[in-house]
Amino acid sequence: MTEARKPHRPDALTWGLLGLGLFLLPAGLYVALTAPPDVNQGFLVRIMYLHVPTAWLGYLAFFVTFLYSLLYLFRQNPKHDRVALASAEIGLVFMGLALVTGMLWARPTWGVYWTWEPRLTTTAILFAVYVGYFLLRGAIEDPELRRKAAAAVGILGFINVPISYMSVKWWRSLHQTQSIDLTTGRINMAPEMFQALMFNLLIFTLLYLAFVRFRGFLAEREAGGEEAEALGLEARKEEA
Amino acid sequence: MRKVFLLALRDLRLEVRDRAGLLSVLAFFAVMLFIMALALGPDEGPLRQAAPGVLWVALAFGSTLLATRAFALEVEEGTLDDLLLTPGSKEWIYFGKLLFQMLLLLPLAALALLMAAGLFYLPLERGLYLFLTLALGVLGYTSVATFYAGLLARLRGREVLLPLLLFSLVVPVVLAAVRATTGLLEGLPLAEVAPWWQLLLVFDVVYLTASALLFPVILEG
Repeated sequence: MTEARKPHRPDALTWGLLGLGLFLLPAGLYVALTAPPDVNQGFLVRIMYLHVPTAWLGYLAFFVTFLYSLLYLFRQNPKHDRVALASAEIGLVFMGLALVTGMLWARPTWGVYWTWEPRLTTTAILFAVYVGYFLLRGAIEDPELRRKAAAAVGILGFINVPISYMSVKWWRSLHQTQSIDLTTGRINMAPEMFQALMFNLLIFTLLYLAFVRFRGFLAEREAGGEEAEALGLEARKEEA
Repeated sequence: MRKVFLLALRDLRLEVRDRAGLLSVLAFFAVMLFIMALALGPDEGPLRQAAPGVLWVALAFGSTLLATRAFALEVEEGTLDDLLLTPGSKEWIYFGKLLFQMLLLLPLAALALLMAAGLFYLPLERGLYLFLTLALGVLGYTSVATFYAGLLARLRGREVLLPLLLFSLVVPVVLAAVRATTGLLEGLPLAEVAPWWQLLLVFDVVYLTASALLFPVILEG
């Protein structure tokens, strides 16, 4: 144990972010539900206000995992690994939500829940990569090797994120191209809709930050427990 | 550079002397292609269409069998630590193992291609380009496989874990390779196949650099 401070509950910033995010969530829903219907898609477009933020958060979370995995490999500080773990877990949940909301939207629009289209396929693969991340974590008992291996998957797996993001441009198929194109900075949507989307993006990002801090805190406690267990085992061994 | 070749040649000699691994992978290719050809029916059209996918899936499965072997002997004999004790940077271990895998897998892949050609009515006029696709695809695949094999070398249950982790990560490579192979077999002009080669090359470079950079950090305790 190198850290002197032993937190027993999450700090004020975590609670603040969580509170603000949860407080604004109904407002985000309200904005999403009152936004004008789309010319082509009608009211269906409102799924977008949930679909785009969840997908965006999935990407963001995996990016944070990538970043903290790199940090862990260079600094060997378990704290970085815990952030990477927390972020990957939340990213997986949000990516799953993005897939589900996408399927709900696809059924009335394309007539099928799922089609083997590049964006869908690459996203599903991305999902599978991070499922593998957790399988690997579960399979390794030695904490240090587990952290290193997880960091390696976190870094290599991230290669799939840009592929997934760019897939709609590279292959140009069924899926909508980006409404907000990060590579050119062009915005292809009506201002009211754009504002509503941005508002929801902001709320979800706040929630993400809160969740990561919360999960990181939990992981820290878990790690503490694991260490205590190991110490207890050793003590028992000595007694015997 | 010399160390890389020495390591690859040593492993290759051990592998050829043993033969069990090589033969089992070859037999695996044959059985898999045969079963798939049987399952997909006797008609020429569907068989030819399915061939690239079947070939690449067979290659992916077969090469995971080999990938664990790259480090299995080192762990069994306890020589991995000896390798790590050599002075200097550790990337050469990765490249040595990678070269060993490539030297084994390329001839096997070429044989698999011939087998697939026989069983799936494939035209082989553009054999050279097909082989180029094989080489690019196998390199992308092996670069990650070798890395993961090293990472998982000391674990129990690595035989199951390796394909699980590997397949999701190398899907882009397999996808691009299948597309390129399909293009070549359908007789598309080379200009239309070239983008897939480019994509494969990009994957190869990215995976190779990332793996080579990460490998020493992972292996050293």
